[in-house]
Amino acid sequence: MIRYLSSRLVLAIPTMLAVLTLVFFVVRVIPGDPATAALGDYASQEAVDAMRERMGLNDPLYVQYFHFLGDLLRGDLGESMITGKPISEIVMQALPYTLELTLSSVLIGAFLGVPIGIFTAMKRNSLIDYLGRIFSLAGLSVPAFYLGILIMLLFAIKLDLFPAVGGGDLHDVKDNLSHLALPALTLGLIMTTSVTRLTRSAMLNVLGEHYVRTARAKGLKESRVVIRHALRAALVPIVSIIGIWAANLIADSVLTETVFARPGLGKMLVGAIMQRDYTALQSVMVIYSVFVVIVNLLTDLVYSMVDPRITH
Amino acid sequence: MKKLGLLISLLMIASMLGACATPTPEVIEKVVTKEVEKVVTQVIKETVKETVIVEGTPQVVEKEVTKIVEQVVTATPVPSEPVFLRYADKAGDLGTMDPHFAAATQDRNLVDMLYNALVRYKPGDGSVFEADLAEALPEPELVDGKQVWTFNLRRGVMCHPSEAVDSYELTSEDVVWSLQKSANADTSAYAGEYAGMTVEAVDTYTVKITLDNPISPVLFFPKVSDYAGGFIVCKKAYEAVGADDFKTHPVGTGPFMFGSYSPQDKVVLVANPDYFRGRPLLDGVEYRFMPELNSRELGLESGELDVINGAAEGIWVERMNAKEGIRVDVYGVGEVATIHFNTTVEPLDNPLVRQAIAYALDRDEFLALFGAPVAENVYSQVPVKFLAGGLTQAEVAELGLEYAFDRDKAKELLAEAGYADGFELEMVSSERESYLKNYESMQAQLAEVGIDIKINVVDHSSMHKLIREDANPIVIYVAWRPNADVYLTRFYHSDSIVVTGAKPDTNFSHYTGIDDLIEAARIELNADKQIQMWKDAQIKILEDMVAYPLQYQNQVTARRDYVDYGHELKSVMGLYAQFDETTRIVGK
Repeated sequence: MIRYLSSRLVLAIPTMLAVLTLVFFVVRVIPGDPATAALGDYASQEAVDAMRERMGLNDPLYVQYFHFLGDLLRGDLGESMITGKPISEIVMQALPYTLELTLSSVLIGAFLGVPIGIFTAMKRNSLIDYLGRIFSLAGLSVPAFYLGILIMLLFAIKLDLFPAVGGGDLHDVKDNLSHLALPALTLGLIMTTSVTRLTRSAMLNVLGEHYVRTARAKGLKESRVVIRHALRAALVPIVSIIGIWAANLIADSVLTETVFARPGLGKMLVGAIMQRDYTALQSVMVIYSVFVVIVNLLTDLVYSMVDPRITH
Repeated sequence: MKKLGLLISLLMIASMLGACATPTPEVIEKVVTKEVEKVVTQVIKETVKETVIVEGTPQVVEKEVTKIVEQVVTATPVPSEPVFLRYADKAGDLGTMDPHFAAATQDRNLVDMLYNALVRYKPGDGSVFEADLAEALPEPELVDGKQVWTFNLRRGVMCHPSEAVDSYELTSEDVVWSLQKSANADTSAYAGEYAGMTVEAVDTYTVKITLDNPISPVLFFPKVSDYAGGFIVCKKAYEAVGADDFKTHPVGTGPFMFGSYSPQDKVVLVANPDYFRGRPLLDGVEYRFMPELNSRELGLESGELDVINGAAEGIWVERMNAKEGIRVDVYGVGEVATIHFNTTVEPLDNPLVRQAIAYALDRDEFLALFGAPVAENVYSQVPVKFLAGGLTQAEVAELGLEYAFDRDKAKELLAEAGYADGFELEMVSSERESYLKNYESMQAQLAEVGIDIKINVVDHSSMHKLIREDANPIVIYVAWRPNADVYLTRFYHSDSIVVTGAKPDTNFSHYTGIDDLIEAARIELNADKQIQMWKDAQIKILEDMVAYPLQYQNQVTARRDYVDYGHELKSVMGLYAQFDETTRIVGK
């Protein structure tokens, strides 16, 4: 197992290097530059030129690239080109908000999606099944930001149950959870629909298998048949979809954090793009890449737990 | 099932790790006291130094003056909750709080609350100058052909305390150093405004500014006002904090002091108890970054925000005003949208074609996209409603330069120019509505006379870069500039021609026809003559039809009705409703 993990981590290095190189060059190829973005349209060309010099943008591209890689190897994410604040400081302030949002959404998605999927599979072609399928289809069709606004209108404005905007104070559990509720529900519901759909499909495949029929013929309780025999076999694709969604939710958090005005990596990414803050943008991409690698690794590890036939 | 349990445990551990990460910066909150006040009148005698002219020579004399001072005396303190005004702007994050680099709206808003200048625009009315750090507005003197402005500073103005330096009194040393910082391209984005200006300290409370070329007050005061380079930075604090850290740890003298900054989230400002105009009525301002309009709107409705930056749309203003407890303010300064024609590219190098386009465009159709009262038509680049030197509709109509909508005339002119079948043009537009709506409306209107326009939509920053590289044959530009000279110089002086000018800037028309008028007006000391020169310059622009003035777009701010800004809102240079020591929350 350790050898497997090591090899996966070593293989992740060229992947991340490719991602970082791509990001480094793409952000510099698109028109617009940080100096103009920082100084606005009122600044004279002379001031913009001076700012470009200070930002190190007049260095040859390959010099900037090797500076970037060198700093990264030393664990230094650099400083924001706009505010001058260390990126690591900004990231450490934003990361907890994105992590808690992603993890709580995954929990909502998994703990709602799997049972609903099982239940609709067991009640195939019944009214409940049709309702479940409509729910899945609607969830897959609604964009996260739109659902977020609807949820805000209902729970924050009409019912006045939760705050509409902001991230809350991380030290104040009640305040933090109340601010987390609506964005987590938004992303969690979207994930739920996808997990429901896949669980239902996987369960339907398994429920028709001979060993399930045999288990029933042996007189086992229906709950034991479904959970012990059917769900166990259907878990591999379900774990896959949860892993994929964990990575997707990071991306979806960009819109959700913007709509709910939450601090986080997604909002940081949008701000970095708008301000052409290359160092901040690159750093967020590094973190996203690391996150995707970790999620994939965890998913692989869970495969072998749920299905002993899978070995590394 | 044990393994499933292990999976759940892993997720829970990861959640806890997230919760253990670096905490958010501490928001400084103070326990304040609600004061029961009474006014005590005191008669104070003090000796002041004054400069007088004796037989042509300035001399400092001591003079005893008697002042009657009304003091507010605090009685028994009653503890109460801190009152913070919660404002949400459309920006995604802070740029800088170094006022000499502050250019984005959010940065301008924040520095407006943190700093003072020698002179200020009257709160809520950007057309009036009044003394700020100076005791009074000075009159200029001519000394050896140079113009000298002498400012006597207020006493007892305190620089905010910071981690690096304790609070200390602002003196001429700070003012001189700050204006010199503004004049240095390495430490200011506005250095160009201070060329030919020498600043020196006469004594601790007197600053002398000498200009190589005399200019009128209307051009001089903006250089030392609370806008751009005129903000005064405290020298010792800046040097102790350092240039980079100063962007996020500012030290000024304004009504509010820096409290904390959470990236992408908010800046918290706290009341300056030693503010020279008196302690602010608010305990602070929470300035939040919320780019999404829906979020700001819902935050205002739910009562989590007190004031928000609104949408520049008449229909939005109407809808929000209809909501209980919410009021929308529409005020200047208005950013002027102007259509600039590149007079060096075919077929726009033909004046008949440019005139044809002007006649083919209907200002009211553009205006309808934004709706009253958010936007209003303009007939000259300089908006006459806010600045001296603009032209009214009546004035241009009288001169036959209104270019009132006349599609038949447009077609006739195109035919006369040899383009009866029209032509094609390609250009880029920003994704921002203030730009895109105008571009799309122009596209639709010009299609009616056979001019086919292809628009490539890019992000705002990219558009600025591309149009400065001369990518567009027609540029729609939305901008506010503090006076007519800046407008005309930067958009129409030959030095400002994009790419090829001596100081490339925003002369997208490649126009060279009014250099002499701009330069003459700049050094004209008679205000009436100066204004007439600016008007003449703009008449020439219209005659040559190098640019077609469209409309100005006002600022739109929505607030809960318990918010009292403390001043009437007519026009604000800082591009927000302006929160100062008089702003308060009443009856929440």
